[in-house]
Amino acid sequence: MPTLHIVRQSAFNSDDFAQCLQVLRNNDVIVFIDDGCYNLHHKLINTIDSEADIKLKVVEKHALARAITIDEALYTVINMNNLVELTLTTNRVITWQ
Amino acid sequence: MSQSLMSKSLISKKLPKLTAILNSKAPYSNSAGKDALDIALIFGSFEQPTSLFFQGDGVWQLIQGQNGTIISVKDYLKTFAAFEFYDIENIYICQESLIQRGLTADFHIEQVQVLARRVFAEKLATHHTVLRF
Repeated sequence: MPTLHIVRQSAFNSDDFAQCLQVLRNNDVIVFIDDGCYNLHHKLINTIDSEADIKLKVVEKHALARAITIDEALYTVINMNNLVELTLTTNRVITWQ
Repeated sequence: MSQSLMSKSLISKKLPKLTAILNSKAPYSNSAGKDALDIALIFGSFEQPTSLFFQGDGVWQLIQGQNGTIISVKDYLKTFAAFEFYDIENIYICQESLIQRGLTADFHIEQVQVLARRVFAEKLATHHTVLRF
């Protein structure tokens, strides 16, 4: 029953990502898009339970455009087609914006 | 779209939909709370099962003693008292968000359920659609 969390805001500027983490459940998927890509280097990332099997994905163009380096050991790089597919393969979508 | 995904999508349309409205903004500096209220009452009018969730600064919308008219803002919070007439009975608030803001469970409507973080997350995940304001 995974939820897809689409994170669009930087945690350096808003509380949205922290609220997303409050309701995160095992096996959920987080996609960082737009200014959400800045969260790749926010300390909140480190609070995600490594045992919870959370899938972390980032829209490649959105990160590259912002000169954000992507650790591909931690994040799966996706494009917009992949994002659309994720909306169909998860049970619900919450957009954090 | 693959055929299996399409059939999954068609099947899910036949199931009753539970809608969650997730409130995350304080009441007076933007229209998010009023917009969420409007959507909730519309769903209620059409007898669609709807739950309200309050998280982050959204918890301020439920706190007792507010009065928007002092700052010339239409006080839509008073309309919350009408939820029971729209059969909106599932109202949940995040305990962690209350604690972070030093707030106690003193609300201007009665049927609010304070849920610990994990229970709040589980309850939210029982809904098919989540609309966040």
